[in-house]
Amino acid sequence: MLIFAFYSVVVTLGILSMGFQLLASRLLNPHFGSSIIVWAWLISTFLAAFSLGSMVGGWISNLAPAQRNRGQLIGAALAVLTLALTAAFGRTLLGQIELAFPAMSTALLVSCLGLFFLPVTALSSFGPQCVQFLATRGTPPGKASGIVYGASTLGNIAGVMLTAFVLIPHFRVSTLLYVWLAVAVASLAGLVRLLRPPTSA
Amino acid sequence: MNPSLLRILIGLLLPLTARAAAAGDYIEHFDTIYNSLTVEKRGSIVELRARSRGIEALESAVDLSDPQRLVVAYTRSLYAALFFQPQPQRVMMIGLGGAGFHRLFAAAYPDALLQTVELDPKVLELCETRLEFKPTARTPVVLMDGRMFVKRDKQTWDWIILDAFRGGFVPPHLKTEEFYRECAARLGERGVFVSNLHATTELYYSDVKTIQAVFPQVVLFETEGRGNVIACAVKYRQPVITDPTKWPVTELLHRPPFAGRLDLDAIRREHGALPANRIRAARVLTDDFAPVEFLDAIKANNTGSR
Repeated sequence: MLIFAFYSVVVTLGILSMGFQLLASRLLNPHFGSSIIVWAWLISTFLAAFSLGSMVGGWISNLAPAQRNRGQLIGAALAVLTLALTAAFGRTLLGQIELAFPAMSTALLVSCLGLFFLPVTALSSFGPQCVQFLATRGTPPGKASGIVYGASTLGNIAGVMLTAFVLIPHFRVSTLLYVWLAVAVASLAGLVRLLRPPTSA
Repeated sequence: MNPSLLRILIGLLLPLTARAAAAGDYIEHFDTIYNSLTVEKRGSIVELRARSRGIEALESAVDLSDPQRLVVAYTRSLYAALFFQPQPQRVMMIGLGGAGFHRLFAAAYPDALLQTVELDPKVLELCETRLEFKPTARTPVVLMDGRMFVKRDKQTWDWIILDAFRGGFVPPHLKTEEFYRECAARLGERGVFVSNLHATTELYYSDVKTIQAVFPQVVLFETEGRGNVIACAVKYRQPVITDPTKWPVTELLHRPPFAGRLDLDAIRREHGALPANRIRAARVLTDDFAPVEFLDAIKANNTGSR
């Protein structure tokens, strides 16, 4: 049961990350169009967030248990708060950024960093910690890494397909951003609890 | 292969290839950053087609022996805007295509400005090199996203024509109520918004409903043949434009270059009814909800409903 819950959360985080990229494109399009320039900034932002999140997550996973738990809580809180910011004020902020930065690439850089980079970085930081979770329970590190990133990537695929073919055709982007926030709160609460170091009797 | 047989084959094929080369016919394919395009020249006609979803959609065509001739039917229907704003001096067109519309307009209204906004630089290059369109001070082309241009532009226009397609789709952000409001803000008091719609999918009903959400009066023209409908919309309620008997008579709109190229009476006959029943059930497209690709994939069942 514990392992089932663990993999469910890993897949869910994968869904959230890549589905969020499609929602982000729909947020950006009215302000900056849908040219290849927009997609270049968007994809690069997400990859940079995956990269930084993995490194930060790897660093957190090697901290002492109490500090690690604090790092996980900070990561989860950051993900939730920044997703909430994007859901509540994303369109307003994009309108302001568009006016404040006439150069499109600068405006896109500020938009992507301000609205998408932090939540995706925070979500990605849990990947290495999930690897650590399996490794401390006897799974060889290489195998644990393969399983976690394999399951997470399956979640990425599911996130893209679900968002593109089911969610965006039927729901408002603003509604979906709040759905993302709710799912992130539930899955991160569960994951932080799962990752909590066992208390000694 | 038997040498004599080879000679016979060459003898048979050579005149064919020589004839094709003499006519200058060609077919070329281009994969640009936004489109997969085919340019085909047959005789004096050069066609620009976009490959998408297993078909090649005709975007534009020009007759090099008479570049002012409107080869593609819907480019004729765009002139329906004359019924509502008969003296266009400032026209913005989003989507260059093969500039099939431009030559006749520039000849008929030599003092007017026709500002085109095109996203794909290769489309402009092909227009210049294959379709013999040369932008001038009266027909400038700017390379940028159409919505970005409308947002940043502070001028007013007599006509705003939306004819932007990318790979067979119109980008969702050019289909929303918010975008149409931005266009309406750039129209003069008696300006007309013109949009080329495809009536073959469910997207059509949402398109019309969304235009209606911004513009109080909308008139449709059903182009013969290929399922194009040209929507003309204005931002005023009076005078009424939906009654064809109130439109200016054709003779008043005539310009010498139209002779033999543009039959305004035929366009008048393209006037069609709003598909009221289907529009009622459709949803308005907004920046927050614009499943354009999804609706465009559902074939419209027009039977008895229009």
